[in-house]
Amino acid sequence: MQPTLNAAVSVTELGVDFGNFKAVNQVSFSVAPGEIFGFLGANGAGKTTTIRVLCGLLIPTRGTVTVAGIPYLSEESADRIKEKVGYMSQKFTLYNDLTVAENLNFTASLRKLERTYYLKRKKELFDFITFDKPESTMVKDLPGGMKQQVSLAASMLHNPEIIFLDEPTAGVTSAAREKFWSLIKSLAKNGKTIFVTSHYMDEVEQCDRIALMRSGELIALDSPKGLKESTFPHPLYELTPKRKIPYSEIEALRSPDYFDSFQAYGLRFHASPRTAQSWNEFLMRYSEDFDSQIIQPTLEDVFIRLVEGQNR
Amino acid sequence: MKIARIKAIAKKEIFHVVRDPFTLALALLLPVMMVTIFGLAIEFNVQNIKIAVYDGDQTQSSRKLIDTLASSGYFLIDSFPTQFAAIHQVDAESDRAALMIEPEFEHHLWSDRGARAQLVLDGADNSTVGSVVGYFTAMQDLATHKILGSPITTPVEVKTRFLFNPELNSRWFVVPGLLVVVVGILSILLTSLTVAREYENGSMELLLSTPVEPIEIILGKLAPYVGLGLSAVVFVYIIARVFFHVPFLGSHFTLILGCVLFLSTYLAQGLLISVTTRKQQVAMQIAMMSGLLPSILLSGFIFAIESMPLFFRGLTAALPARWFMVICRDTFLKGSSLYALRYSFLALLLICTVMVVIASKKFKRDVEP
Amino acid sequence: MRLNATLLGFVKKEFAQALRDPKMRMLLFVAPVMQMTLFGVAISSDVKNVRLTYHPRPNDTVLQHVYERALSSGWFVPAQVTTTDPFEQIKNGEADAVLVPPPEGLTQSIGQGEGSGQLQLLINASNVLRAQSTESYIKSIMAEVLKTDLHLLPTSSAIQFEMRILYNPTSRTAIFMVPGVMSMLICLITILLTSMSISREKETGTFEMLVSAPTKPWELILGKTLPYIILGMSNVPLILGVAVFAFGIPMKGSLLVLFFSAFIFVCTTVAIGTLISILTRTQQQSMMGGFLFLFPAIQLSGLTFPLENMPPLMKAVAYLNPLTYFLEMLRNIMLKGGDWKVIGSHLFVLLLMGTALTVTSFKLFKTNLS
Repeated sequence: MQPTLNAAVSVTELGVDFGNFKAVNQVSFSVAPGEIFGFLGANGAGKTTTIRVLCGLLIPTRGTVTVAGIPYLSEESADRIKEKVGYMSQKFTLYNDLTVAENLNFTASLRKLERTYYLKRKKELFDFITFDKPESTMVKDLPGGMKQQVSLAASMLHNPEIIFLDEPTAGVTSAAREKFWSLIKSLAKNGKTIFVTSHYMDEVEQCDRIALMRSGELIALDSPKGLKESTFPHPLYELTPKRKIPYSEIEALRSPDYFDSFQAYGLRFHASPRTAQSWNEFLMRYSEDFDSQIIQPTLEDVFIRLVEGQNR
Repeated sequence: MKIARIKAIAKKEIFHVVRDPFTLALALLLPVMMVTIFGLAIEFNVQNIKIAVYDGDQTQSSRKLIDTLASSGYFLIDSFPTQFAAIHQVDAESDRAALMIEPEFEHHLWSDRGARAQLVLDGADNSTVGSVVGYFTAMQDLATHKILGSPITTPVEVKTRFLFNPELNSRWFVVPGLLVVVVGILSILLTSLTVAREYENGSMELLLSTPVEPIEIILGKLAPYVGLGLSAVVFVYIIARVFFHVPFLGSHFTLILGCVLFLSTYLAQGLLISVTTRKQQVAMQIAMMSGLLPSILLSGFIFAIESMPLFFRGLTAALPARWFMVICRDTFLKGSSLYALRYSFLALLLICTVMVVIASKKFKRDVEP
Repeated sequence: MRLNATLLGFVKKEFAQALRDPKMRMLLFVAPVMQMTLFGVAISSDVKNVRLTYHPRPNDTVLQHVYERALSSGWFVPAQVTTTDPFEQIKNGEADAVLVPPPEGLTQSIGQGEGSGQLQLLINASNVLRAQSTESYIKSIMAEVLKTDLHLLPTSSAIQFEMRILYNPTSRTAIFMVPGVMSMLICLITILLTSMSISREKETGTFEMLVSAPTKPWELILGKTLPYIILGMSNVPLILGVAVFAFGIPMKGSLLVLFFSAFIFVCTTVAIGTLISILTRTQQQSMMGGFLFLFPAIQLSGLTFPLENMPPLMKAVAYLNPLTYFLEMLRNIMLKGGDWKVIGSHLFVLLLMGTALTVTSFKLFKTNLS
């Protein structure tokens, strides 16, 4: 893939080694300005490592990386990249034992923001996240969702072009997650590029494009719709057992005679037949055992099929 | 309370310790370091004291005096041509003391007026002033005898018998006391930090929201450190016996009983600290100040409690380390029985009970729902 | 020159974190004063209150005399006089030392002629230091009795050493112990504060936020150390105040020299703490690392044991210890008025150590996460 000239982020054959361990290998993609770009993968798949490279926190071992038009070559270019990007990491990047105001003051001083500019930004961002508590509230006394929004504001004080969010919604209520995503969407509408990793599949659904990582490699990259279509070219069925089915029989069904993929979902199964013919064969043999209905594949199905399914 | 759940938590904690080779290495390194420093570096018997000598007399008598000092084995002699130079040696801390022999030394000695020599010592940087003064006092008669040839008259000979440590071996004194210091350090520091860490990481709330009872969490978390503390005891014991040949005259049961009481007291204290502070940095500082420094400086380990002013002696009675120090030394060197140590044991038991009660009350009120 | 905004931000932030917690305020400003008082009084190598008794024999007036003199010397306190086995008395902890005359009594044995007097002294030697001092006390008391009370010895020997103890004529232990305790406390506070400072950020995850801003490594390191240098220095006048006003330790040298020396020392220990913090990942590790430094530093500084008796290897370690130098400087400045040669050379060594540590910290500190 050729790096696109006006891309917000462009990565070609990125590789990061920790000793002998290849944490990230042969990863290439590019992200357009204003895009919400999702990153999916199991723990240790290389998501966080990739994000850290893009934030200028980690020097790549191989490949070329360009962030906000700046090629990442050295420590010096890392500092220039850091000026242009905002980073909010897995754990909230706020000090629990400081007040909201103290936290933001400190962030502003870290980035040497001019006082008038900082105060203006702070007001804008507080309006943006509808922060209505006193600034002298201790961070540890804020509810989780509020903490996360203040954290987002802190990472955006310097008005970055690109914002990296590493599992920003871990451990907050679903209402807070919803509000957070509406904030993200309005940011993207205003031209900010958003990079987000998450464990919640329903969230990732809202991304423009999704990159799927497994063992340090990029295994799929498409829009949510495209991902579902390419992963499940045939209809997906949900099978509900009518009786207790022994484990050995389930194992037999997993074999590729009938299905491309056959995954357990609680007591039910999601299965994608190999061909229309194999589906008919299955129905003939097992109609007594299962109820079946066609369902729309979700990203979770995609994720399981691509990431977990191949590890079997 | 279920033993299985306690075991599970203990396993997790052991896993923490083992997986973190840094902490493990340090936990093992600390006792080794302490034993090395205290066992090898500390020598209370002062020898080879460097003294600067100015001989203003330059006679046979003054030379004999210097010879007597040199051959005593206590002193290393540096000679200087002027008084000023000799005193300067003391001032610059190059020599411990300066001996000034006055010009009329021999003359005075034979004229029955008594010969005088001035000894200048540095009181600013001198933990050995007492010993040096003592040695010189002893030298007075010896030197008189050597120079004048007069007999040493001893109307009364004082024969000293040093009980329990006949050769005044510094190691026998220091190494049993190390048990107290090592156990104290490992128990109070590690416990006060482990529980505080759970609070800081928010995992305490997580643990408390499970059906596991708070007391199970605590017992489970502390169990590995009890193990670590007891293995440190065994380690120091072996070093003391095999390497430093410290005699062990008492019963092992008495020593272990003392260890268990002491360990429980410090674990309870560590727990109290972490429940109260909930922050590792504060917990560490309080542990350092309430547990560690007292157990080194106020327990009688080096600085005798009996020599402290009355008020401070009373204060040390509240320190578990002080009582365990008595138990350790006496079981090793004196072979004291449990009965002979009853007061120390009662005091330790009392402190232990009070500490456990306070800690569990605080724990119940603050932690349990 | 405009003050660097990042540094100022760090000072404000670290102060807010350290000083908001009332427990921390206590630890920072009250605890040192309390410890100073406590250890200043309690730590002394004096030997006092030795419980002494004697084994009574009928009409033994000389022994009585020795015993009374011993009690009036101030070193001894009486223990119960009984006819039980003196060995048992010591073993049971009823007495620390027992005077045991020969069966006919000390008085009679002296009367039997030249060199016949015998006195046994039983001492509990489980504390070596006390045992040594007890023996020399009793011997000097015996000599006094023989000279002044019984006139069996000439009152003065032909050769007399006149002792003059410079800077501490009354031989008060506090005079040289208190400066030692001062230096120990300053070392303790700075190491405790700094050894966890960076590892805490790593453990709670805020470190990522620090390095995600385009700050320079020196700004981060200085930002994490400067506040603690200030806090450490704020303790110096407190501790000095206790030393001078509560313990009556003379302050002969210049305050300026003392504060400058303390400043260099605080910088050195803060550098050590910071290095520990850089090398460790969790606060527990830092604590252990800090302790691994503090323990030998305190023991091998000359505070508790004279350095000159140590084996050469340990002595070498002692002279790699910044506390050794600061302790000697503090004693020199306070008690002697400060010899510029001593102060100069010691400051030079501390500066060298501080520089080496800072350079190492810079080498090891990374503003990225690899």
